Amino acid sequence: MTGMAAGRKRKLTPYLFLAPHLLLFLIFFLIPMFYGIYASFTKWDLFGSPQWVGLENYLTIFTNKESTFYRQFWNGLKNTIIFVIICVPFQVLLPLIIAILLDKRPKGRNIFQGIFYMPTLFSITSVTLTWLFIFNRSLGLFNHMFGTDINWYGEQPWAWITIVVTTVWWGLGGNLIIYVAALAGIDRSIIEAASLDGASGLKKFWYITVPSIKFPLTYTIVVSIVAQFNIYGQPLILTGGGPSESTFVLLMYIRNLAFGTGKSVAGMASAMSTCLGVIIGVVSVVQLIMMRRQED
Amino acid sequence: MRFKKLTALCLTAAMVASLVGCGGKGTSSTDTDTSDSGTTADVAEVADTGADTEEGEEAQPEVAPGKKGTIEFWTVFTGADGTSMQAMIDAYNATDPDYTVNHRAMEANDLYLKMPLAIQSGEDVPDVCINHVERVPLFEEQGFLVDYTDYLDGSAVSKDNYNPKAWSMTELDGGHYGIPLDVHSYVLYVNMDLYEKYGNGVLDDGVLTWDEVRSVADACVADEIIPIGMAWLRVKFLASYAQLGGTLSTDGTTPDFNNETAVKVLENWVDLSNSGYCQKEGDDSWQLFLAGKVMFCPEGIWMYNNVKEAGLNAKMFDYPVFDAGTKGNWTSSHQFVLPKNDSRDDEKTMAVLDFINFMGNNSLEWAKAGQSPAHVSIKDVAEFQDMPQAFVADENEELKIYSYKYYGYAVEALDKVLGEVLFGRMTPQEALDQAVQETKDQIEMSE
Repeated sequence: MTGMAAGRKRKLTPYLFLAPHLLLFLIFFLIPMFYGIYASFTKWDLFGSPQWVGLENYLTIFTNKESTFYRQFWNGLKNTIIFVIICVPFQVLLPLIIAILLDKRPKGRNIFQGIFYMPTLFSITSVTLTWLFIFNRSLGLFNHMFGTDINWYGEQPWAWITIVVTTVWWGLGGNLIIYVAALAGIDRSIIEAASLDGASGLKKFWYITVPSIKFPLTYTIVVSIVAQFNIYGQPLILTGGGPSESTFVLLMYIRNLAFGTGKSVAGMASAMSTCLGVIIGVVSVVQLIMMRRQED
Repeated sequence: MRFKKLTALCLTAAMVASLVGCGGKGTSSTDTDTSDSGTTADVAEVADTGADTEEGEEAQPEVAPGKKGTIEFWTVFTGADGTSMQAMIDAYNATDPDYTVNHRAMEANDLYLKMPLAIQSGEDVPDVCINHVERVPLFEEQGFLVDYTDYLDGSAVSKDNYNPKAWSMTELDGGHYGIPLDVHSYVLYVNMDLYEKYGNGVLDDGVLTWDEVRSVADACVADEIIPIGMAWLRVKFLASYAQLGGTLSTDGTTPDFNNETAVKVLENWVDLSNSGYCQKEGDDSWQLFLAGKVMFCPEGIWMYNNVKEAGLNAKMFDYPVFDAGTKGNWTSSHQFVLPKNDSRDDEKTMAVLDFINFMGNNSLEWAKAGQSPAHVSIKDVAEFQDMPQAFVADENEELKIYSYKYYGYAVEALDKVLGEVLFGRMTPQEALDQAVQETKDQIEMSE
């Protein structure tokens, strides 16, 4: 009897430790999430009671080419995906290169690491405002220093470049410290052995470094992709979605529909965000599965 | 076993959900409600206001209740105007009223979410709120507001004491739903030093026509001065469109601003832009104006403090016109509204009106914040007459206030296309058609 009770107690303890988080998660994530999914099947102005419309919102988004919401959803999704595709490689490669350089233990390594990490500590608003001033056409630092007259926010590809530069600069530190730590964990004797066998720098990197940091690498790719799908603040402040709505990302449309100047169109906004959530979910799950395969 | 699986599932969901949630957090602080008095389309401004909110809310301690209690007063004044508002409220509370006033300032967008929620839940309903006049028709239709009519008789608040235009905009469905605090217009700022040099006396009659802008523009351009700044395009469109008699909706419901009048407004812009008479795309015309590089620059009267700080020799005039006979300035108004609340008795409501009346009679402080108070008493104050925005207080028909129920949808749709038109990526007709379609779709979805 006592043995069983002890066993049960042992089983219960971990859950007790998990309970506070699970409770908060339930209240602030799970319930709102399911309510959001429910709202996507309704017409709702946030104040009255939601009115059930079934799949209507989804049908509008997916099939009604005449509708503004169809145009907004697909344009927003397209722009979001473009951003993910151009931003994530920089977000992974640039910190990796810097991490490798730092790993060579140059003088002032810690200072450099601190400087690179610093932007991560600032809020998105202050970071974006900083770059907003740098890229200002007539009064900005960049055009002034290089004597150019580039219309950064109003023309492509400059508009995307400003957004990507801002994002990469802001998020550099997060991935950087993960890579620095991972590189420091590689057993030096393997590299030495490879050097003795005459392996070139590139070969050492490709056959030793990359496999050794495979797990952190995949993890940062997953996290970066998911984070960039949620892009919102940078285009909002830098370009306002322009030119020609070419940087108007999905979350901006969603936010405008739900909390815009007019009466809220929360049902449609929920439908769009549910779709975005599903996409992000699928992408993450696929990558997590790939990660697990690599482990085996 | 099953429980374990369930927990595992929950945890996985938690991880995915928290990942999804990551990027969304913290972005709400960059909300842009450009309808707020303190903000323009300039995002730097918006961010400033955001920062002020926190200060504003922290800086307001609870006021000791009067003999009978407190009046909860919610406003949208989170910037420098919040300080002026608090000073006026302190002055009222110093008169030892039965009900002292407790001020809560919040971001306009927050107020427009919180107020209806409070009214619906019936808990912590404010006793009086500030709303932008464009918001009032929809809130009235949704049944959130109390009609002032019955209370006006027994109170010192009277129609005759207010700017007629600002008062009449909240006459809705046979009732009266707002008492104006101010009118704030979008006017023309002129750099007088540059005007001396290039202006050729076009403002001698006190009003600037678009043709006059063109007549003096080449001389400016030759010296790398920008003749006219074109930013915050939605109000520029609305001002010119109203001057020409345009409305967002003929029947008050269906948007139909994709008409010839609207096209005329936009073609004028395209012509100015193609001639090189406005700033280049990507430039902040207001910053350039403050730096002395723009001769004419339309902006809100509430931006005057910027001009003062920059030490610029600038004056305010009416917004440019097509024809010197029909002036028109886009205008909004902050209005006191009474949220519906069954637990507020008549006595307290009368106390609210007493407070509103006090605010009207003592509005010099509000004028100092750059606004033009709507109460007539301000016109007798010599200090106000010396202020650059004083001319707005005497205007009536010149003040173009939009009261379209779906104003919010329309202006957001316009925001997306007007810049495209100015810089030649969309034709006026295409742009207006898209904006009207978007407004229609949103209306349909919200009904």
